[in-house]
Amino acid sequence: MKEIFRLCFVLTLIGAVCAAVMAFVDQETKAPIEKSKTAEKMDAVKVVMPLADNDLEKDQVTVKDEDAQMEMTFFPGKKDGAVIGAAFVAVAPGGYSGPIEILVGVDTAGVVLGGGIVKHAETPGLGSKIATPTFRGQFVGKSVKDPANWSVMKDGGPFKQITGATISSRAVTTAIATGLEFLEAHKAEVFGAPKPAAAKPGCEGKPATGGKK
Amino acid sequence: MGAMKEFTKGLWAENPIFRIVLGMCPTLAITTEAFNGIGMGLAATFVLVGSNVMISALRNFIPKKIRIPGYIVIIATFVTVVDLVMNAYFHPIYQKLGIFIPLIVVNCIIMGRAEAYAQKNGVIYSLLDGLGMGLGFTISIVVISMIRELIGNGTMFGAQIMGQAYVPFLLIILAPGAFMLLGSMLGGMNRLEIYMAKKAGRTPTFRKEHDCASCEVFGGWFDRGSKGIEAIK
Repeated sequence: MKEIFRLCFVLTLIGAVCAAVMAFVDQETKAPIEKSKTAEKMDAVKVVMPLADNDLEKDQVTVKDEDAQMEMTFFPGKKDGAVIGAAFVAVAPGGYSGPIEILVGVDTAGVVLGGGIVKHAETPGLGSKIATPTFRGQFVGKSVKDPANWSVMKDGGPFKQITGATISSRAVTTAIATGLEFLEAHKAEVFGAPKPAAAKPGCEGKPATGGKK
Repeated sequence: MGAMKEFTKGLWAENPIFRIVLGMCPTLAITTEAFNGIGMGLAATFVLVGSNVMISALRNFIPKKIRIPGYIVIIATFVTVVDLVMNAYFHPIYQKLGIFIPLIVVNCIIMGRAEAYAQKNGVIYSLLDGLGMGLGFTISIVVISMIRELIGNGTMFGAQIMGQAYVPFLLIILAPGAFMLLGSMLGGMNRLEIYMAKKAGRTPTFRKEHDCASCEVFGGWFDRGSKGIEAIK
């Protein structure tokens, strides 16, 4: 009977000391972890919004859609005070191994300016090729209505999927399309309420982007 | 046994991967890029050294009956520390290694050394043992990941080596390729050890169960051709 108390005591002591050590390290690393996560995201935002001169991190807007039960964060880019576009993170849930996070930059008309893969766990050498410029570049210049069919070639769309990684390619394509649709539905909230007249005609996108088909 | 030998045994004679054949999960899973190998190796080395020192220092304090849960708590603490510190200060490599950092907890090398060495030896020897084993593990997985990256992706440490015309042999990057390469390397290491032992006139240091000649699956099939072990014995 005496022994069991000794065993309990020793194990409790080890547990308590270890918990204290972990609590200390957790406290010390909390801020740097948060910082490196944000820095990573903001670096990617700057790449897709190279012309913006505002503090992108400070100006972010989160839009909630009650109907679609979706929430997205947008980073509107401004130049000389005027909104020139926005960046957003589209999450593709259907990646080959876990969700893929894609950062997309669009101008005020909803035309894609550029994109980057923020986070993925796809197979190295196959699915990881979604991060190559050849694949990512295909989305530049496209908008939500152009093309009408936002899918990879295998599904009849205009985007060339990566050989051996159709699942990854499809996931990225669908996620960008979903993000663009969401932005289209909540334009006013993202780009600010007083809508600049110039953005309206470009909204259709046909004359500006249709030529490259 | 000299202190120096405690350190060097992990590098060759008792190399955790090629001799003791422990810690296969990270060895097979993360060795797709050379940088991953370095990151994983150093993280595991830190945990191994820390846990070896702690466990050997507490070896007379922890009762035999509860040593395993005690060791696991100590090892898990070191792993958590590594996980948090890498996340905070080495974010890119942390993202690549992902789940395999927390999984160091169940890396058999660490528990194995605690059980087989640290609980029976002093702090200094345990430190040297942990360092040697950790470095042996690191070197082994870096070599494996360099080969896999070179053949499977045409690069080494991220730098293009094979040229644009090279078509990467993807199989070696994928899981089956890891098994094939590891198996071939294990066989090669055994062969080399037999050769070296023969030359020096000593018994090979690998364990019997890890030598092809005694493999029951083939009923000594390998032995017929090579006569490797028998010739020395």
